[in-house]
Amino acid sequence: MLRTTLAGLRMHKGRLVTTALAIALGVMFVSGTLVFSDTLRESFSSQVMGSAERMDAVVLPAQGSEDPVSGDVLDEVRELPEIDRAAGVTMGDAPLLDKDGRAVGSVPTAGVSVGEPTRFSADEGELPDRPGEAALATSTAEATGYEVGDSATVLGPDEQKHEFTVTGLIDFGTEPSLAYRGAVAFTSPVAAEMTGAEGYSEIDALAAEGVSAQQAADAVSAVAGDGTEVLTGQELGDRLAEQAGAQADALATGLLLFALVSVVVAAIVISNTFAILVAQRQREMALLRCVGAVRRQVFTAVVTEALVVGLLASALGVLAGVGLGYAGFAVGAEAFDADAGSADVVVKAQTVLIGLAVGTVTTLIAAVLPARRATLVPPLAALRTSATATALDTRVGILRMATGTVLLLASAGVVALARQTDDPETGLYLVVGAGFVAFAGVIVLSPLLVRAAVAAVSPLMRALGVSTALAADNARRNPRRAATAMIALTVGATLITGYSVVNASMMATTTDMLDRQFPMDYQVRAQFAEEGPGVPPEVARDLRESPEVAEVVAQRSATAETGDGFVRYTTFRGVPPEEAAGGGTDAGDLADVGPGRVAVVSDVAGERGVGDTLALTTGEGERDYEIAALVEGAQSSWSVLMDPEDFSSAFPEVRGDEMLMVSGAESAGDEELRDAVYAAVEDRPTLQVDSMAQMRRQYEDVLNTAFLAVVAMLGLAVVIAVFGIANTLALSVLERTRESAMLRAMGLKRAQLRVMLMWEAVLMCLVGALVGIGLGVFFGWAASAAVLDDLLFRVPTAQIAAFLAAAVAAGLLASVLPSRRAARTSITAAMASE
Amino acid sequence: MSQSAAKAAPASDPTHAPPVVTSRDLVKVYGRADSAVHALDGVTVDFARGAFTAIMGPSGSGKSTLMHCLAGLDTVTSGTVHLGRTEITRLRDKQLTLLRRDRIGFIFQSFNLLPMLTAEQNILLPGRIAKRRHDPARFKRIVEVVGLGDRLGHLPSALSGGQQQRVAVARALLGDPEVVYADEPTGNLDSRSGAEVLGFLRDSARDLGQTVIMVTHDPVAAAYADRVVFLRDGRLVDEVHQPTAETVLDRLVKLES
Ligand SMILES: Nc1ncnc2c1ncn2[C@@H]1O[C@H](COP(=O)(O)OP(=O)(O)O)[C@@H](O)[C@H]1O
Ligand SMILES: [Mg+2]
Repeated sequence: MLRTTLAGLRMHKGRLVTTALAIALGVMFVSGTLVFSDTLRESFSSQVMGSAERMDAVVLPAQGSEDPVSGDVLDEVRELPEIDRAAGVTMGDAPLLDKDGRAVGSVPTAGVSVGEPTRFSADEGELPDRPGEAALATSTAEATGYEVGDSATVLGPDEQKHEFTVTGLIDFGTEPSLAYRGAVAFTSPVAAEMTGAEGYSEIDALAAEGVSAQQAADAVSAVAGDGTEVLTGQELGDRLAEQAGAQADALATGLLLFALVSVVVAAIVISNTFAILVAQRQREMALLRCVGAVRRQVFTAVVTEALVVGLLASALGVLAGVGLGYAGFAVGAEAFDADAGSADVVVKAQTVLIGLAVGTVTTLIAAVLPARRATLVPPLAALRTSATATALDTRVGILRMATGTVLLLASAGVVALARQTDDPETGLYLVVGAGFVAFAGVIVLSPLLVRAAVAAVSPLMRALGVSTALAADNARRNPRRAATAMIALTVGATLITGYSVVNASMMATTTDMLDRQFPMDYQVRAQFAEEGPGVPPEVARDLRESPEVAEVVAQRSATAETGDGFVRYTTFRGVPPEEAAGGGTDAGDLADVGPGRVAVVSDVAGERGVGDTLALTTGEGERDYEIAALVEGAQSSWSVLMDPEDFSSAFPEVRGDEMLMVSGAESAGDEELRDAVYAAVEDRPTLQVDSMAQMRRQYEDVLNTAFLAVVAMLGLAVVIAVFGIANTLALSVLERTRESAMLRAMGLKRAQLRVMLMWEAVLMCLVGALVGIGLGVFFGWAASAAVLDDLLFRVPTAQIAAFLAAAVAAGLLASVLPSRRAARTSITAAMASE
Repeated sequence: MSQSAAKAAPASDPTHAPPVVTSRDLVKVYGRADSAVHALDGVTVDFARGAFTAIMGPSGSGKSTLMHCLAGLDTVTSGTVHLGRTEITRLRDKQLTLLRRDRIGFIFQSFNLLPMLTAEQNILLPGRIAKRRHDPARFKRIVEVVGLGDRLGHLPSALSGGQQQRVAVARALLGDPEVVYADEPTGNLDSRSGAEVLGFLRDSARDLGQTVIMVTHDPVAAAYADRVVFLRDGRLVDEVHQPTAETVLDRLVKLES
């Protein structure tokens, strides 16, 4: 008896360990996210505070104002007795050339002045203090490979080249406007000269001896005048920190969504575990009732157990979360322009409390239903003989079937409705809603699904041998338990599959869109500068003359404002419009676009059709055109496609090309074409040349990286689900100890027993994964179809096959411990135990 | 051996056939040193082919342990057990498993059947485990004898306790094992169902020549056997041939005193 009790205790510990792990993992994700984002926010804010607090008073253009602070203000500020020193920050475009002599980035790098005083300091080397010297933003230096001591070329206002010696690197951190475009810092006069900018984006001032920051700011405020805003350094720091914090908040929100998925899955796992434990302890509960325990006491006993387990596991989870958050920050800080070394790990009391609360409350909620069921055990159950085999739970449940079917039909209905909706956002919300409804339906139907799935594979498994046959029979004996274990996995499977379908469909659709366009190898654009001149027409001319180039399509565009918004006019020169624009039409033919005849998107056409006359607002006033073709709005980058001659007369001020599309000659090799294209732009370093092959690769890389990140986040939910399956199996093994002993006595080998349990787990995982894959494919399609009208639906079979393989592997893993325990138990000991 | 019992035995007594199962100086010690329990303390006994033997004794006397050791379910501390010519005390776990599978049948007190298999599937299970083809004629006959004809398609939960045990008997008999071990097979049954099950065991020994070894503490159950051996404190202390409930009870009372 003692032996049995001890064995039971050991088992007891074991079965709580897996449950606790499920909770702990969910909590770890939540608190890890909080620690990570708090640390990131702290690091951001210490960075900006550090730079802002160096100043006593700062003058900024008034919020919402486009105009810089005028130079007069600086002069007046300098005159103030309260001010010791002040300097203006000049900011404008200063295109830095990379080592190949091409301008860096699609937006020109910022030129910024570091005067005396300045908020910025050099991370490496020194700030520039004479003409001919410049410092680079660390991000810019990283992108270009420049180091301190190198010589770098920056273009001046008229594109003339200026050489500078790099004296230092400045970490601008999250400084708005500089973080994205990168920056080159000069002394004040050089910055003004290089950027051609008038006025200042900011004036930084230090107070005189004995004057407080507030007094200094007040004094400055008195002279700064309208259109400006004066802050103390502290105030500026607070504002910048808030802006940077918003970034960390957005990140935290995204991560918490994934953490939520993990917590929900953990809740399912915990609920199933408690349900099984309660069922197994029926006699114990009944005995309690027999000796006089009232229902509430039984309920309290179960809930208390949940509370203890929940609290302990949550504490463990919070600890692990702190570690995870810190590790995440150490690894990921770089990616967010934060300084990994700058901040200590931030663990707020709130983080610990939230982590504990999430885990404990989730556990309690998950345990309530099973605890209620425990109170329903009649005292008589204790007296029931254990000799008779317990009846199997094989009720079909008409109500269950009906409810599930109604929910699934309702979900399909909502998806159909989403298909009818024109607004992508509404459509997406509808699809997400339908997804939840369908999931509820699947939960309701899951016991039937499990039974049906097992029935479907039963003939095969029966044919395979006695172990697999028994596995199939076992999987069916308690469908509700198996179903709950499976559902936990289905959550992850649905989300991963759904995302992979969206990912694959988007990729295919975009690739197809690119394929249907003019088959270009290179694209040439001007660096984005407001109202810039575009690509000079000579570049297209030079390229056309080059023997390596087959064709050049020059795209010109102009935007005109009409009564209800902006209309974008485009023309292609070089090849016929239908070749250049590609894609299909709703009516008419792009080939018919010619003098006086235009193609328009349906929004612009309104009620009119092909052949009708349409009045359009151009740069030269209203003009009439005949509609040659109508195009669906979402798939084209223009609203009106015109003949080149019409375009020139309608928008005579547009001289440059917006973009050149270059296709290589058959005879030209990759290298030759590349050289030819670069040769044509050699004298114009700010033009951006991109190879299409490279752009596609980058696009795919971005999508694939995002995919991996999402899968990794959802992976934890899958891991938790696998714990649940292992736990369910372990508990069934415990329950079937005597049965296993009997099988072994009858000559079932240990290996056969293990194989049986292995297949039970694999079966559960496969059903869970397959249901999830089905849901994921459907809702992945529905979601991407809601967003993209002419979606190319793709099912990423390789990814799904990999996921299925992972599910099988997970099943095998989940069965390792339970089956080892089952195979090891001595037959006679199992027979003796009750 | 008891003199009186040997004299009372008629010439046709199956207990005089050559033994199928023999044990020599069987010792089983649980625990070690100070807390050691001698569950079996030198048991030497033979079980004749085709005989129905009952093992009796007070609770804790070592009945179950003896059965487990004879059946290759447990290892022995010393001594030997033979099944036919096989010395099973020398076999490793894997070989023991195969031996049980191919040559031994079991009937337990409870939890005998797999709840998700029908009566028929339960009966055929050992054959499936051994990948053995069953003899349909034998199956039919056994099912008829135990009276399960119309209940074969039912799940155990739809059968009474007696019916469940009859399924277990049919399962043990179907493979024509060299010996069937039954551990308190009627312990959980009402007396009528118990009598039925015991009747089948006796008949199978008589009609099919099946060797049956049954552990019981019920003198009425023991009376169905051809021979009863008595254990006390892990030792064989007495035996009765052609027992009646009275003779068995008589010996038991003597043993306990
Ligand atoms: N696994 C075990 N570990 C320790 N002692 C045991 C074990 N199994 C049985 N015993 C002891 O061995 C003795 C014989 O037990 P058992 O064969 O079950 O007796 P019976 O079946 O006649 O009631 C008893 O004293 C019992 O406590
Ligand atoms: Mg016993």
